[in-house]
Amino acid sequence: MTRPWVTAALLLLAVGCQRPVKPGDPLPGLSRAEHDRFDRGKVVFDSVFTPETGLGPLFNATGCGECHENPAGGRGDEVEVHATAFHAPVCDPLAQEGGPVIQQHTTPALKQALGIDQEPFPPSATARAMRTSPVIFGRGLLDLVPDSFLLAYADPDDRNHDGVRGRPNRFLDGRIGRFGRKGFVPTLREFNAGAFAAEMSVTNPAQPTEEDVGGKPLPAGVDPAPDPEINQEQLDLTDDFVRFLAPPTPLKLGKDGRHGRDLFSQIGCATCHIPTLRTGYSPVTALSNREFAAYTDLLLHDMGADLADICLGLATPADFRTEPLLDLRGAEHFLHDGRATTLEQAIELHGGEGSGARDRFKALPAAERAALIAFLKSL
Amino acid sequence: MRRTIRTAALTAILLLPLVISAPADWGALTSAQPAPSYTYRGTVRAVNARAGTLELITGVGMSLRLVRMTTAATTRLVATGAAPRVGDLKPGDVVRAECRRTAAGLVADRIEKVAVGAP
Repeated sequence: MTRPWVTAALLLLAVGCQRPVKPGDPLPGLSRAEHDRFDRGKVVFDSVFTPETGLGPLFNATGCGECHENPAGGRGDEVEVHATAFHAPVCDPLAQEGGPVIQQHTTPALKQALGIDQEPFPPSATARAMRTSPVIFGRGLLDLVPDSFLLAYADPDDRNHDGVRGRPNRFLDGRIGRFGRKGFVPTLREFNAGAFAAEMSVTNPAQPTEEDVGGKPLPAGVDPAPDPEINQEQLDLTDDFVRFLAPPTPLKLGKDGRHGRDLFSQIGCATCHIPTLRTGYSPVTALSNREFAAYTDLLLHDMGADLADICLGLATPADFRTEPLLDLRGAEHFLHDGRATTLEQAIELHGGEGSGARDRFKALPAAERAALIAFLKSL
Repeated sequence: MRRTIRTAALTAILLLPLVISAPADWGALTSAQPAPSYTYRGTVRAVNARAGTLELITGVGMSLRLVRMTTAATTRLVATGAAPRVGDLKPGDVVRAECRRTAAGLVADRIEKVAVGAP
């Protein structure tokens, strides 16, 4: 055998023997230094905060790992409350009344001072939304999909007449959003920094001010830790941990699963749940210019009146960002609020722009529906 | 002894530029410092041109904050098109506001209406 053939054979062997990525694993191909940051970031991610170390006085969880658990970065069983006010066409996130994330717990000091167990629900809210904790695998890859892709793929006027009108959301400052169930937040870094503040009320260099209570200043003495309650290094490490979490390797497909994958495209699911996306450049080689299984277009779609809840940014109550289909096999609840307990239910609850694909799914023979579900359960 | 003189001379040479560039009166300098300035980029929540007040929503990720500021006769509003006024702003507009903190709170010096691409 000549040398090129030997090299090719070794490469094929290496690819064939590549260990499958499990939920919670880091991206393959990280450098030693990046792997070290992943490990150190996981320590911060798994930290449990107390009032003395920055928790509260309002909070939803005592640490990132409380909601993104089993393993770290996975989904949890917590459901949180969001509230905004929609006065078409303007969405008010009710920041002046504690929105859009309404914390469900208080520290003992705040409870003693104000006699409340949770943040008061904003009186001006026009809607309440329930939100489950999603898996956060592969978010570093989603972060690097260029804005130009979202703009190129958007079809707000349905020019191709397929009944699907994707459009990007925009953050408060006008930048294109992509993270969160409404696709409101532009970057992973901001989402992570905001989560420290919104979920645990842990102030940090990106959000150094504590949230007040329903628009009223905090009573004296209820927030003993000096701001910011974590430093830049802790924030950066946590960000790297999340950024380096790999999407789990899909299970090997059998004959039914392969047929289901074809059906997924044929009936139109893949119009919004685009199977693969490509990242742009990153100084992190493991993230740079990578094609990866995403099953999202990162755009907003009208999902119909039955799923509608809050507005956020440009997203109307019925608009939701296409959920990336990652680690579905580990899920027990589906959709943004966990109302579906099976994948069949989740598909059947698609309305609005998703109703065409939903109807085609329902029209499939039972065996083909089962094949499509088998495919989804491989993800 | 010779070594001590040499060290002192070297130190003097190294410190000379600092001494020359130092202000003569530190007290005068600190009292003349401008009010701290801040730049906010966010969405207009409410504007009251008559009262000269503006509310902006800013934030990081899902952690949002309301910023209240006042406008003055000297506040410059910048936007494309005809000469804009604070009263032309409306809820939902994206702006970049340069402010300074005074005893009365934030005062906007310059407000720029930011053009945002179509959805």
